[in-house]
Amino acid sequence: MAEPVEFYEPRTIAEAVAVLASVPDACCLAGGQTLVAGMNMGPLFRPPALVSLQRIDELKGITQRPDGTVVVGAMVTHRTVAQSELFGGGLEVVREAAGCIAHPAIRTMGTIGGSICHADPAADYPAVLIATDATVVVTGPSGIREIPAAEFFVDFMTTSIEPDELVTAITFPPAPADAVSVYEKFTRASGDFATVSVALALSLRHGRCESVRIALGSCGPTPVRAAAAEQRLVQTSLDESDVQDAGRILCDAAAPMDDVRGTADYKLMLIPRLLGRTIQRAQERAVAWRVE
Amino acid sequence: MTINARTTLTSFVVNGDPQEVSVTGAQTLLNVLREDLHLTGTKCGCNQGICGACTVLCDGMPIRACLALAMVVDGRDILTVEGGKTDPVLSVVQQAFVETGAVQCGFCTSGMIMSATALLMRKPSPDRQEIREELSGNLCRCTGYAKILDAVALAASRLPIQESAT
Ligand SMILES: Cc1cc2nc3c(=O)[nH]c(=O)nc-3n(C[C@H](O)[C@H](O)[C@H](O)COP(=O)(O)OP(=O)(O)OC[C@H]3O[C@@H](n4cnc5c(N)ncnc54)[C@H](O)[C@@H]3O)c2cc1C
Ligand code: FES
Ligand code: FES
Repeated sequence: MAEPVEFYEPRTIAEAVAVLASVPDACCLAGGQTLVAGMNMGPLFRPPALVSLQRIDELKGITQRPDGTVVVGAMVTHRTVAQSELFGGGLEVVREAAGCIAHPAIRTMGTIGGSICHADPAADYPAVLIATDATVVVTGPSGIREIPAAEFFVDFMTTSIEPDELVTAITFPPAPADAVSVYEKFTRASGDFATVSVALALSLRHGRCESVRIALGSCGPTPVRAAAAEQRLVQTSLDESDVQDAGRILCDAAAPMDDVRGTADYKLMLIPRLLGRTIQRAQERAVAWRVE
Repeated sequence: MTINARTTLTSFVVNGDPQEVSVTGAQTLLNVLREDLHLTGTKCGCNQGICGACTVLCDGMPIRACLALAMVVDGRDILTVEGGKTDPVLSVVQQAFVETGAVQCGFCTSGMIMSATALLMRKPSPDRQEIREELSGNLCRCTGYAKILDAVALAASRLPIQESAT
């Protein structure tokens, strides 16, 4: 028989915040796809109290504002994001990443809020939030905070939210009309965490790069972005030498670790190759988009 | 807001039958199915979400029973491998696994069958690649997967063709 755990099921964000603020060591339960796996390892890994976000309807929708900003509730599942029509062009990278998280059954339950709060450097969403310049919306006892993704992920499995705060939504700003985006994930086997991943959002005009944002996953404690690599690509036609230079700059900025998915050296070898593949796919998408 | 005590009465439907079970906050659906309801067809391979042996359907969608807390599935409709009598698609998949010889030790089989059922419920005539993708989270240490894919394709060929949404 499992150890007893207090279980709260608030119906609103305000109620959830009230429980988090008043019950010591209470912990949010989203899809449980990371948390319950941990709890199954034994009583030591069981929080004394769980605040299930499952019945808070306010956290479950995806909406688009008139300016094109897409707002995704924290409890929106990977499965729902992977099927949403609202992620096209510069935001297609969001849908693409969601569709390659784990396996179908885990995508049914796992949520975007749970994934980013866990902040596993090998997870897929963190790099995507950086590449799309997303903002994380957080509610706590003192109100609402909007945290740019770059300030949200602070270290290995560490975010900038407080224990009595909860993530309520992620907002993705509208991309330029001609933007394309790509998620490229290198894994040992389908459904595994990334050995290295690249999230890229690109805007091309007549084959020239107008703007670009690149973020690497699994290449350090938080997603890696290198402004110099992006500057190297802007106003070029993304020739082989441009991409090679940018790849080198990204490798200098990356600090991957040896782990079961590969050695640090191996990951550094992957970065420029995956970048090349990502840019090529983005160019193909831009062409296909113009033809349509 | 419902503030649950340490032990709570949770009710859900399993294979068409309403069930009421007293559960704790850390108890998983897998544990309830096997230990409380004695439905041992759903297997525990890893208890970590990795192997897929515990896959069941929750409101028609595949989930890992080992990663779903029982309190979270309160009010939901669960289908397990024992539900062949109540679900026609599941029954067709089971028959196809038997006829194809897609079972060796059998430990992965119920999870495979439930993942395949989830796919065929929303897409009765998938291509081979779609079958592979849907079963990608179910590990089998015995068969080499070929007969399992054959079994799902056979089941699909026996289902009436009508595409539902997604
Ligand atoms: C076998 C397996 C393979 C996987 N493969 C991948 C993969 O390839 N790529 C990938 O990215 N992920 C992968 N995952 C992780 C998966 O995406 C999880 O769904 C995700 O990491 C956690 O989301 P969740 O909704 O299940 O959160 P939970 O497990 O419920 O919660 C995770 C943590 O976040 C906290 N939390 C949750 N929601 C909030 C909130 N709104 N506000 C504040 N805190 C919150 C919880 O307290 C907990 O600490 C895998 C998981 C498994 C089991
Ligand atoms: S027992 Fe649930 S996935 Fe292995
Ligand atoms: S038949 Fe033995 S694990 Fe699949």
